[in-house]
Amino acid sequence: MTSNPDRLNGTPEQHQGHRWYGGREVRTREESIDELLELIWILREKGVTDLNSLLQNTTDPEARAVLNQMMGQGLFEMEGDILKFKEKGESLAEGIVRRHRLTERLLMELFEMSEEEAEEEACKLEHVLSPAVTDSVCSFLGHPPVCPHGKPIPQGPCCKKLTGEMKPLIRPLNDLALGQEGRVVFISTRVKDRLEPLSSFGVIPGIIIQLKQRRPSYVIQIGETSIALDESIGREIFVKAV
Amino acid sequence: MIFNYLTGTYRVVSNYPGTTVEVSSGAAKDNAFPFTILDTPGVNNLIPNSEDEKVTRDILLSETDYRVINVLDAKNLRRGLLIALQLIEMGLPVILILNMMDEAKSRGIEINLKAIKEVFGLPVVAAVATRKKGLEHLFPALKDCPKSTFSFQYSEAIEGGIASLLPLLPPAPISGRSLALMLLAGDETLRPWLEERLKTPEMEQIEAICSQYRKAYPESLSYRINIERLEKIDQLLLRIQSGERVSVQGWGRRLGEWSTHRFIGFVWMLLALFLSYEFIGVLGADLAVGFMEETVFGGYINPFLIRLVKAVIPFGIVQELLVGPYGIFTMALTYALALILPIVGFFFLIFGFMEDSGYLPRLAVMSNRIFKIMGLNGKAVLPMILGLGCDTMATMTTRILETRKDKIIVTLLLALGVPCSAQLAVIFGMLSGFSPWIVISWAAIIAGVILLVGFLAGKLIPGESASFILELPPLRWPQMKNILIKTLSRIEWYLQEAVPLFILGTLVLFVLDKSGAMASLELWARPLVVSWLGLPAESTSSFIIGFLRRDYGAAGFFAMAQKGLLTPNQVLVALVTITLFVPCIANFFVIIKERGWKMALIISGVVIFIALLMGGVVDWGLKTFSITL
Repeated sequence: MTSNPDRLNGTPEQHQGHRWYGGREVRTREESIDELLELIWILREKGVTDLNSLLQNTTDPEARAVLNQMMGQGLFEMEGDILKFKEKGESLAEGIVRRHRLTERLLMELFEMSEEEAEEEACKLEHVLSPAVTDSVCSFLGHPPVCPHGKPIPQGPCCKKLTGEMKPLIRPLNDLALGQEGRVVFISTRVKDRLEPLSSFGVIPGIIIQLKQRRPSYVIQIGETSIALDESIGREIFVKAV
Repeated sequence: MIFNYLTGTYRVVSNYPGTTVEVSSGAAKDNAFPFTILDTPGVNNLIPNSEDEKVTRDILLSETDYRVINVLDAKNLRRGLLIALQLIEMGLPVILILNMMDEAKSRGIEINLKAIKEVFGLPVVAAVATRKKGLEHLFPALKDCPKSTFSFQYSEAIEGGIASLLPLLPPAPISGRSLALMLLAGDETLRPWLEERLKTPEMEQIEAICSQYRKAYPESLSYRINIERLEKIDQLLLRIQSGERVSVQGWGRRLGEWSTHRFIGFVWMLLALFLSYEFIGVLGADLAVGFMEETVFGGYINPFLIRLVKAVIPFGIVQELLVGPYGIFTMALTYALALILPIVGFFFLIFGFMEDSGYLPRLAVMSNRIFKIMGLNGKAVLPMILGLGCDTMATMTTRILETRKDKIIVTLLLALGVPCSAQLAVIFGMLSGFSPWIVISWAAIIAGVILLVGFLAGKLIPGESASFILELPPLRWPQMKNILIKTLSRIEWYLQEAVPLFILGTLVLFVLDKSGAMASLELWARPLVVSWLGLPAESTSSFIIGFLRRDYGAAGFFAMAQKGLLTPNQVLVALVTITLFVPCIANFFVIIKERGWKMALIISGVVIFIALLMGGVVDWGLKTFSITL
C-alpha cells in the first residue's frame, strides 16, 4: 500500500491497496490490517486523525469491518471520532512504515529503480520482511533517517543500539578513515572503462584495500601495490570496513 | 634488466609503465642459443587497456614459434599470475621468473616454488635481477620449455561462449580458446586482425555471438572474466604463498608516502624543481655551456676550422657556407654541440633519476587536479615533463595515454607551450641580463596560455576523457649506472635526430640569406612582425628559423638581445611569441606519425595563430598600460 503522501490528498481512487493474482483480488486479513495501520500512521504524520478522513483515503471495501477487528485486538482506540494508537498498534504500524521506507530507499538508491517500481515492491515487502533482515537493511544503508521522499523512517532496535556516530556497514571507499582497511563488496560504476583497469590491478569484490591518502589524489594499497585514483572512482567502490 | 642480461646490451629500463613503448630486440648472447629476444612493454592485462598493452598482445599474435619469458614481481604475485594465466591459456611455452625475491622475503612473503611448478607444470626461476641473482638458471630453462598442463574452467555461460566461437576462429599462434575469451571480453583492438583473416558473414556471426553473451552480463563480460581468473588465482595462492605479511616501514615507503602527501608532497615537488633547475640551469646552462661554447668551440675548434677552411678552399661562397655567419660549422654545429647538448644531457640525467626512483608517477598524483582542469588526468604529467627535455620525444610517449582525446590535447599543448630544454637554455641565457620581472611575466603568460588552451580543448574536442588509475611503484634509490647508460642512449638519439636538422636549418638560412629571399620574406612579414608584435624587422629571420628548431628561433633573438637591438619589452614579446610558436620540424613529423597529416596541420595552424595572437596581446598590453620592464 502506498505511503506516498502526495497521493493522499483526497484522491482515493489512486490508492491501490490490493494486488491481482490471475485476475482475482487476493488480500489476506493480515494484509488489510497492515495497510490500515500504515494509513493511520501516514495520516497522523500529516496531522489528520479523524475516522472520516481515514475512510475517505482507503480503498479497502471492508475497511469498517477490519477496523472493528483491530479495535477488538486492542490496536487502537477511539476518542470521539479521533483514532488513537494503543501501544501494540503503534509498534506494529511503526514496523510496517519502517520496512516500507527502508525498502524504498534500498531499491531506489542502490538498485536505482524508478519510483513506481520501488513503490510497488515496497508494498509487497513491508508485509514479509523479518525483523532481522529489516535491521540488516537498515545497517547496510547506514541507518538512514528519512525515506527518498524525505519522510522520517522510524528507528529500529539496530539504530537505538548504536551510540555515537552511525556508520553504514557498506560505504564508499572514500569514507574510510586514512589507513583503514576495507573489503570490497561491489563496484558500481557507470563508466565502462573503469572496471577493466581496476580488475587488472586486482581490485575486485572480496579483496581488502587500505586507503592511504585523500589528497591531492586518492591512493589505495592492495597487498604490495599502490594505486592512485580519482575521487570519483573511489566513490564507486563500496567497501565494508574490516 | 633481464633482457639486458640475456642479450648483453642495454635498453632503457625504468620504474614506471610506459618506458618501453617501442619493442626492443636483441640476439641472445649465449652462442649455443640462436634466439632473438624481444622485450615488450610491461602489461597488467592482455586484454589491452592501453597502447603498450596492445603492442605486447600484437606481438604474441604475430610472431610464431616463440617462448615467453614472463617476469613476475614476487611480492605482487597475484597480479603477476593474472598475466601468467592468460599466457598459459594461449597455449604458449612459458617460463616464469619470480623477480624481486629479496623484497618479497623482507615483507614476510614466502613463496613455494615447488607448488608453482606443480600447479602450472612450468619451469620457475627465482631471481633478483638487479643483483643478477638466479639469472644463471634462465638459459638452461629456456632450452627445455614445455607448454603448461594447467587449465581451468570458467563459469558455464562463459564456457558456452567459448565453445560457440571456437569453430569460427582462424588459426593463430595462440590458442582459439584465448582468442575467444578476448572476443567475449569485447576487445575491439582485435578486429583488424580478424578482418584480415575472415569473411564478412563469419565476422557477423562472431559479432552476434559476442553481443548475445555480453548482454547476459550488465557489468561487462570482460570484468566478469577477470574476476573469475582472479578468484582462481586466489585459490591457487593458498597453496603457493604463505607467511604473515609484514608491512615494511622502511625509509622507501615512508618517503613514498611523503612524496604524495598534500603538503609535504608540494614542498618536495618545489624542492625537486629547484634542484633540477640548479642542476640543469647552473651546471648545465652556465658552466657546461660556457666552457663548451667559449673555451672549446670559440677558443680552439672554430678558429682552427676557419683557418683550415680558408686555407684549403678558395671559393668564397663555400667558405661562407662552412664557416660564415650562417655556416655549418660556425652556426649549426656550434649550437648543436656547445649550446644545446650540455643542457639536454643534464636534463636527461635528471629525468632519468626521477624515472628510476619512481618519483614521476607521484608527480602525476600531485598534478592530477591541475590536469583535470584541462580535461586530462595526472598521467599527462609524464609527457609534459618529458617535453621540457624534448617535445619530439614527448610526443611519442603520448602513447601511454588511453584515449584519443587525451593524446590530442597533450600533443597540442606540447607543440604549443612546453619549451624544450634547448629552447629553455637559450631563453634563460637571454634573460640573465634583464630584470626578473620579465622571467616572471613570461612564465605566468605561458602557464596561463597552456591552462586556458587546455581547458578550451578539453571542452571542444569530442570524446571521452580517461579515468585516472595509476600504479605507484615503490620509491627506490636508482642505480647510477642505469641512469648514465640511459642518458647516453637518449643523447645519442638526440644527436642523430637534431644535428641533421640543425645543418638543414642552417642551409635553408644560408640559401635564404644569399638569394635575397630573406630580405623579401622580411618585407612581406614586416607588417605582422613590426606593427602587430612591435619587434624589429630583423627578427623575422628568427621566426622563420623557428620552424626548423624552436631553440634556433630563440637563439636568433638571443643574438639580437646581446647586440642590444631589443628593449626589455620587446624581449618579453619576442619570448612569448617564440615559445608558443610552431613545433620544430622533427616534432611536426612525429605528430604526423602519431596523429596523421590532418591533425598535424590543424595543430600547427592553431599553434601559430595562438602564438601571434598572444604576442600581439602582450605588446598591446604593455603599450596600453605603459609598462616598462
